Amino acid sequence: MKALRIEIFKEALKTGVVTKKYPFEPIEVPEGFRGKPSIDTEKCIGCGACANVCPPSALSIEVDAKRGVKKIMLFLGRCIFCGRCQDVCPTEAIKLSREFELSSLNSKDLYQVVELKMARCKTCGRYYATIRQILFTARNVPKDQRPLLLLCDECRSKVSAKYISYARW
Amino acid sequence: MPTSIYEVLELMRKYGRIEKIHKDTYIVEVKADKVKDICSILHWKLGGHFSVTVGSDERLINGYFAIYHVFLLDEQKISIIVHTKANPAIPKIPSITPIIPGANWHEREAHDFFGIVFENHPNLERLILPYDWPEKVYPLRKDVSIEELRFKILKPETVKEKVKPEEEYIVPIGPYHPALHEPEYFELYVEGERIVDAKYKGFHVHRGIEKVAEERLTINQIPFIAERICGICGYTHNVAYCQAVEYAANIDVPLRAKYIRSILLEIERIHSHLLWFGVLFHLLGFDTGFMMTWLVREKIMDLAEILTGNRKNYGMNLVGGVRRDINEGKIKLSLETLDYVEYKLRKILNKMLKLKEIMSRTKEIGLLSREEARKLSVVGPVARASGISTDVRKYHPYAAYGELEFKVPVYDAGDVYSRVLVRYDEIFESISMLKQLLKNIPKGDLMAENVEVPEYRKGLGLTEAPRGENVHLVITGRENKVYRWRPRAPSYNNVPSTLVMLKGENLADAPAIIASIDPCFSCTDHVVVVDVKRGTRRTLRLKEISRGRAR
Repeated sequence: MKALRIEIFKEALKTGVVTKKYPFEPIEVPEGFRGKPSIDTEKCIGCGACANVCPPSALSIEVDAKRGVKKIMLFLGRCIFCGRCQDVCPTEAIKLSREFELSSLNSKDLYQVVELKMARCKTCGRYYATIRQILFTARNVPKDQRPLLLLCDECRSKVSAKYISYARW
Repeated sequence: MPTSIYEVLELMRKYGRIEKIHKDTYIVEVKADKVKDICSILHWKLGGHFSVTVGSDERLINGYFAIYHVFLLDEQKISIIVHTKANPAIPKIPSITPIIPGANWHEREAHDFFGIVFENHPNLERLILPYDWPEKVYPLRKDVSIEELRFKILKPETVKEKVKPEEEYIVPIGPYHPALHEPEYFELYVEGERIVDAKYKGFHVHRGIEKVAEERLTINQIPFIAERICGICGYTHNVAYCQAVEYAANIDVPLRAKYIRSILLEIERIHSHLLWFGVLFHLLGFDTGFMMTWLVREKIMDLAEILTGNRKNYGMNLVGGVRRDINEGKIKLSLETLDYVEYKLRKILNKMLKLKEIMSRTKEIGLLSREEARKLSVVGPVARASGISTDVRKYHPYAAYGELEFKVPVYDAGDVYSRVLVRYDEIFESISMLKQLLKNIPKGDLMAENVEVPEYRKGLGLTEAPRGENVHLVITGRENKVYRWRPRAPSYNNVPSTLVMLKGENLADAPAIIASIDPCFSCTDHVVVVDVKRGTRRTLRLKEISRGRAR
């Protein structure tokens, strides 16, 4: 019995101190660590895919119809660092970093807001999508149909309904 | 005594219409008056065990309330769901608690949430809803929305409960205390040093994530809330949910994804068991053991972080597969870590369990006989320490477990020491499984191609969590949502057994007994709270209280 105890004691002695003196000493996180997400304001097109998939609604979208501005808001207080936003972003604008020290004395540090200008519909004059989103979509739309992108959803469906009825005739 | 699947199904056919909902899972629709008979046969004669009762408001689908009693038949490797309908105007169903005492909490929960009355239930009191919850408001019914609930709930009142102390002392252990890592509340009635009776009150942190999931979240958002049901073994909930939906929608998950799931589940089991060893040693006053086991555990946590990007919330699953791959470099690193962990554990843990102090504090303490265990339908290591060989991985294989070789450790003594040994063996089984998985992982896709989820299909997801079997019943809904999701954590079945174990024991042993089932109170309430680091503080409190009284 005594021998057992001595062996355990020896093992403990051999291991020594393993506790790191964090935060006075930095801690390394591995490659691929899911830390603080941030939005690249240059790349974001304001499509809202991230806000759609975000499980805790840390990402949300607000449209300011008066100013014609779409706001993409990221609130780190709700974020669970799952990285679904990164998965679905079509332009790789939102990315998770390896940063994990998020405590701050100012609650505003936990928010990131991206404001993007919106375009007016050519027919009804309503703000309907961000300019960047229209430009991004245009790449995948055949040239002859591109003018349709300048219309809001409702007007566009009216116009395309017309096309379809012409085609039937 | 029917033994083959065919014979069992023939027997079931006598009671009602039988339907196969997916692989190895059958649903039997029976009339209310036959529920007791069929449940008694399934639990007591066919060698199955009662797993969970799920209430469901299906008035929008077929106009009835439904009750599902889920039974797992380990011998035949199938699960049978007994489905009964209840009249929406006067929902009444005969209770099965008189036959299977383990169903007590399950039926009370369905009563709380759906207002279904279980006839002849021994005490159909409130279990989960607080005392000041308004009468006749049933939160999980579909005609009550979250917004409505917010306004309907009254302001909290203080309710004083009458206790009848005679010559006994009451020793309260727990809750409503910020220093405890989970709100548990045990009342121990003692005569001198001996515990004569025990009471448990839980569900202080029930936040109704089922309601949130059913009303607000989409199918692929729920895995992330499911992962946060438990602060230690969250990934197993995540897998169970995804499996339930995959079965319901008939989605074929690629083999590589299944292997990755199994790898992470086993990593989770090792870290959970090591955490438990640390907590137990700490409770017994053996802090060297606590430090040493947690030192090894930290290596496993680091490994999980490297593989998934987070120590605890792996976030690896979506319905249909996994999100991240494990490359060659990571496989090599994992194998190296496992070698180290195995070497280290064989060297130290083995010796620690042989210490006289540990033996005398755990052997023949907190006894749970096989009969009691069957009655309460306990699961996981607690059942295996009482001589019941049950393991979802073995008998209802999921993920990649069907292709692995492993043993299910079973001990007969039913004391705390057996529970220690079961977990000790399981750690090494897990390491061997991980090695097989890492060496044989096949190449292929990570996500199923077609992940369409049809509406109103049922799926039963089973996983073996570190604490026991973990059951998720999912009924899919419209517009990419679930209609009903009922997660049942293993502690839900295990916690009632502590009351049996505590009776007749010394007060000073109470913390070790309560800890021996590896309780996860917040999981039982299906919620989010646990902080792994604070785990020690809870146990310290428990210890302080019991020591203070014992002196």
